[in-house]
Amino acid sequence: MHNTFTPCLKAEWLKKRHSFSSWLVIIGGSFTPLIYMLVFFIYPKQLADLHQSPGFWKMLFLRSWETMSLLLLPMGIVLAVSLITQLEFKNNTWKQLHTAPVSFSSIYFSKLMVILVMMLQLFILFNFTTYLSAVIPSMLSKKVPFPLYEMNVFYFLKENSIFFITCLPMVAFQYLISLQFKNFLVPIGAGLALVTAGLIAHSWKYIYMIPSTYTGLHFMEAATNKPSGHNIIALSLGYFLFFVVLGYVLYIAKKEKG
Amino acid sequence: MPKILFGMQQLTQTTCFADQIAHFAEKSYLTAGKFLLLLYIKSRTMYSVQTSGVFHHFSENDPVLKDIALQVPSGSIYGFLGPNGAGKTTTLRLLLGLIKKQQGSILIFDKPIENHRMEILRNIGSLIEMPSMYGHLTASENLRIWQQLYQCPYSRIAKALETVDLANTGTKKVSQFSLGMKQRLGIAAALLHEPSLLILDEPTNGLDPYGMMEIRDLLKKLNYEHGITIVISSHLLSEIEKLVTHTGIISHGQMVFQGTLDSLVSRQLSASKLILNTSNNLQATDVLKLLQLDTSIENGMLTIPIPEKEMIAQLNRELVKANIDVYEINPVQKDLETIFMELINQTTHA
Ligand SMILES: Nc1ncnc2c1ncn2[C@@H]1O[C@H](COP(=O)(O)OP(=O)(O)O)[C@@H](O)[C@H]1O
Ligand SMILES: [Mg+2]
Repeated sequence: MHNTFTPCLKAEWLKKRHSFSSWLVIIGGSFTPLIYMLVFFIYPKQLADLHQSPGFWKMLFLRSWETMSLLLLPMGIVLAVSLITQLEFKNNTWKQLHTAPVSFSSIYFSKLMVILVMMLQLFILFNFTTYLSAVIPSMLSKKVPFPLYEMNVFYFLKENSIFFITCLPMVAFQYLISLQFKNFLVPIGAGLALVTAGLIAHSWKYIYMIPSTYTGLHFMEAATNKPSGHNIIALSLGYFLFFVVLGYVLYIAKKEKG
Repeated sequence: MPKILFGMQQLTQTTCFADQIAHFAEKSYLTAGKFLLLLYIKSRTMYSVQTSGVFHHFSENDPVLKDIALQVPSGSIYGFLGPNGAGKTTTLRLLLGLIKKQQGSILIFDKPIENHRMEILRNIGSLIEMPSMYGHLTASENLRIWQQLYQCPYSRIAKALETVDLANTGTKKVSQFSLGMKQRLGIAAALLHEPSLLILDEPTNGLDPYGMMEIRDLLKKLNYEHGITIVISSHLLSEIEKLVTHTGIISHGQMVFQGTLDSLVSRQLSASKLILNTSNNLQATDVLKLLQLDTSIENGMLTIPIPEKEMIAQLNRELVKANIDVYEINPVQKDLETIFMELINQTTHA
């Protein structure tokens, strides 16, 4: 069989250029670190305090992750993923795409792949701007020493990987529903409802069943050094697989393809 | 080319198929094998699109298509005509596999789309309804996407843009294009991979008369120079009558005519009538009945199907003999548009 995945992947990559979702990656990846950079400019003492605490980089990293994990990232995923599929609905291009000589599977998985690569871009940008949020103010302000601490690369790779995995259920969930509805408001509404439900249910016994909460739950684990008592990685991967397969079946089974 | 194919078609339809082949082979000093091969190749490419017994419904008990049988000869320009809501878009979407076939058979290049989807689509360029292009990208960025998906040479992008006169749009985003420009870009995308079959659903919708003419000329050229088969739908006969070689007319989900444009035109001749204006129509009716003419009165005028010219002279003599003044004898030919309207209206009353 002719390989149609690579052409699809290239095409999807071309499509996302200049699109709003690619801007969202840049904004989402740098928003919190930039806010902190501003805070450190105005209140250098905050940054100086960080120098006193053990594990400077770790503290800085976790501080950036706080709002990101609980709110911004899940919401950003809802928006960015919906915008990607919305490109086809808004431009009436499903019919054109579905009459190209490529398999439906290639279309489904290449789009998902592009979304995941965009997530990866966001993670890289986020880590980099977090680093800059401490370095730039300390270069410009004489009150704060330059952070010369050693960085435990393994720790950051591991934590980033776990955070990435905890995002996957939300990505797949959002991908699934945003492929099903032409009206943009439906997937956005459903996604935001799920994120909000996760926030409201923060002390619920079964909160670990809500797929939008894993990034936040892992943040709590990382910040407090207390395990949540649930295997968040396994739950995340399980949900991810479930939503990807379900989304695929629903997409393939669609009677009208444009 | 279509004419030759038509002869071949009749040949293949004959029952004593084997005898014919033997006969022809002998006559033309061809070996039977060679001839069979030739015939096989010809017959394979006889129809680019062939459907039969296609029914479709979106909701229960509300069929949108009823027994659609399309035959699009290879190399033809096939005008698919019908008023809005007749089922043209639905039919074309079925051909492209955009909606699931419910009943009937659909063959494209002699193969069912269900099991040969990708192979068939590789040779089709399509444009269904509104333009479908990515608004946040430029014309060439859009074509770059389709160039990837169809895996055709990069150089095709510039050529296709030139063909539809969009080569100078540069960094302008498609969302800022006029409807006509978007439509032309859609055609460029359909042509990009040099397909052998073009399926265009109302491609001149929203275009000004000049734009329509340009597209018609382009399609003629593609058909003439590259032998591309074209299926083009429209709700206006006048828009495509100068373009198409064959036509199928659909109304309320049913085919009401299919054949060459010539055969539709010959219908026009047979459908012509003679209108008489006399001083006494009632009396004149009696006179004409004696001549065994089928008379009727339409809008206060006496109307008969057009007779031989000797008969026209004779009926005039008879009327004068009967002391009826004849003010006017007027042959009226129905125009294509009227025939089209009548064909469409047949199903309304059915
Ligand atoms: N997706 C759909 N769901 C339900 N009904 C539809 C759908 N698409 C078309 N129809 C109906 O099918 C009929 C034929 O529509 P269409 O094929 O678009 O006609 P045309 O292209 O000839 O104007 C119309 O009555 C239309 O309302
Ligand atoms: Mg239509």
